[in-house]
Amino acid sequence: MAMLESGKPSFAERPTQEAKQGQNKPPIAILGAGLMGRMLAISLMEDYQVFLFDKDSKEGQQSAAYLAAAMLAPLAESADCSREIMQLGEMALALWPGFLKRLDTPVFFQQKGSLIVAFEQDKSDLKQFKSRLKSSDYKVVSDAEMEQMEPGLNPHLKSGLYLPNEGQLDNRQLLNAMASTLNNSDVFWFDHMAIESTSSGFQVAGEPLESFLNESIHCNSRSNSHNQFDWVLDCRGLGAQADEALKADACDMASNIASSTKMLRGVRGEVVRIRAPGVHLTRPVRLMHPRYPIYIAPKTDGLFVVGATQIESEDTRNPTVRSTLELLSACFSVHSGFAEAEILGIESGLRPAYLDNEPKIIIKERLVSINGLFRHGYLLAPVMLQQCLTILKGSTDEESFTQIMPKLVENHSVKPRR
Amino acid sequence: MSNEHSSKNRLNIYGTKLNSRLLIGSSMYPSPYVMQQAIRTSGAEVVTLSLSRQNPQASGGQAFWESIQSLGLLLLPNTAGCHSVNDAVNMARMSRELFQTDWIKLELVGDDYNLQPDPIALVKAAEILLSEGFKVLPYCTDDLVIARHLVELGCEVLMPWGSPIGTGKGILNPYALQALRDRFPDVTMIVDSGIGLPSHASQSLEMGMDAVLLNTAVAKAKDPLLMGLAFSKAIEAGRSAYLAGPMAERTAASPSTPTIDSPFWHQST
Repeated sequence: MAMLESGKPSFAERPTQEAKQGQNKPPIAILGAGLMGRMLAISLMEDYQVFLFDKDSKEGQQSAAYLAAAMLAPLAESADCSREIMQLGEMALALWPGFLKRLDTPVFFQQKGSLIVAFEQDKSDLKQFKSRLKSSDYKVVSDAEMEQMEPGLNPHLKSGLYLPNEGQLDNRQLLNAMASTLNNSDVFWFDHMAIESTSSGFQVAGEPLESFLNESIHCNSRSNSHNQFDWVLDCRGLGAQADEALKADACDMASNIASSTKMLRGVRGEVVRIRAPGVHLTRPVRLMHPRYPIYIAPKTDGLFVVGATQIESEDTRNPTVRSTLELLSACFSVHSGFAEAEILGIESGLRPAYLDNEPKIIIKERLVSINGLFRHGYLLAPVMLQQCLTILKGSTDEESFTQIMPKLVENHSVKPRR
Repeated sequence: MSNEHSSKNRLNIYGTKLNSRLLIGSSMYPSPYVMQQAIRTSGAEVVTLSLSRQNPQASGGQAFWESIQSLGLLLLPNTAGCHSVNDAVNMARMSRELFQTDWIKLELVGDDYNLQPDPIALVKAAEILLSEGFKVLPYCTDDLVIARHLVELGCEVLMPWGSPIGTGKGILNPYALQALRDRFPDVTMIVDSGIGLPSHASQSLEMGMDAVLLNTAVAKAKDPLLMGLAFSKAIEAGRSAYLAGPMAERTAASPSTPTIDSPFWHQST
């Protein structure tokens, strides 16, 4: 196989779990090792022989998950998303700690709420934001209360809201912890492998996806009766945009506006990472901005993630001067201690989104596509994960999140499998 | 109304006749899907779109533009975000290439905070673009003299503000807008920016303005679809009121029927 000859990671180099061998678990393929792909792999590796394919390195630097600020802010997001997304986000927030316990290394996770602040001239934006929140689980805070909560804040910030249930995590710690957990498992992780969808099925590094099954039998010297994957889970995010089948489906139904929601697009975001050991924020602070929310999210070791812009463009260039100025001036205006902070990186990326900016799980026979998490990847990932597991288990609708959001799952199978 | 869509009662933009007197923007909606639905509900036939920040040179906004183009409406690209004559002219040229339209909503930022247009740069850019065959729809203040310069250059449409962009304060200076209307009766006059409520739109049409252009009022409503519908109705009402010829305002109350509890010689009319 080409990949073994080209110096790419081979099966022999991968750590395997001896205990799992010989169990002849059904094989499952996961395409894309971003946030969803990794979470699915970890959740399925007990019951399936997981094959994880990704075009990226194991650091996952090309994934939207690598760039994100990893805010878990269902209420704040509800200003611009549906009530259903907010409800799913609240449920997901409760699911995160359980998932993190399954990882080999600790990941920063906190739920100390978030503070929404505005300068005097932007207070109408704050008023509008408050009026758009889809739950009243917040508290209006005075400038004195804000100072008590976050002593270093700019005293000119007079208006604020405290959203006590919001949380956040450290996305890069999480991606690394998941990589470590997967590396210590029997999961077959094929990194640096280009994946494309063709009329005859998925091709990985130019080879049919199913051909990797034979390779695994060969490499493990064990008998395996499987000649196809039990399921294929497509978690490629924007990598699936070129999927001609998906586009063809959408075009077929172009007259129906609802179908156009299936068109996947990229929404540009720019994020700054800075280190400011002298700045102490207990919780993420969101600054009112007329066009998009800007968070200053304190992680560990003096690290702050500031983001993100939201621009309707698939521009893949590095961050622009205007966006960088906006993000950094927002940061400095909130806390003057950022003046001497070290800029660790200013990065840009594209969020995968459907036209309604809501995620979808699309089932076609044994292919399950999970995509369109937009700016809500971390907010919703545990719920999307649970929903996928429900689908794979063939569980009843009562256990499904479609009870809350019916359009979360679309089954396009000719004969529903279960 | 029988003459609802008669030629006289249709909006004229450089010779293109339109039934709807609402021009609508395409930014700040919760999603492109909501945008599509709200625009359809509003009945607008012209959609403005901004190319700035999307890296249009590389068609960065292609996917988003397609979501607008799929509506099958007329596109009015704008030069929002441009601070100089050169930037605006270049953006207009790029828009013409991308969208195959000579229409351009010319917008030059003069003040970054309230996005007040720069009237001097606006006139300079309008002159260049008109000479290149563009059909320029200039976003201007309600200044009469600037308006005159634009009309003299060949602008057949003026887009004076009601109040600064995104404020939703409605028509802050009705006197100035009325003066524009009265002085340029043959110019298509579209109130652009500051419209926050359907009543603001109604007021504009009642004054004899030809149309309104808005974005935030619909995009940032809790229910953009319903607000789109509300504007559609308000604009229709305002236009009908203008055509119907409003009664004259009076300073004293004037009962429409004689009051029976006072003698006739006490009744003023």
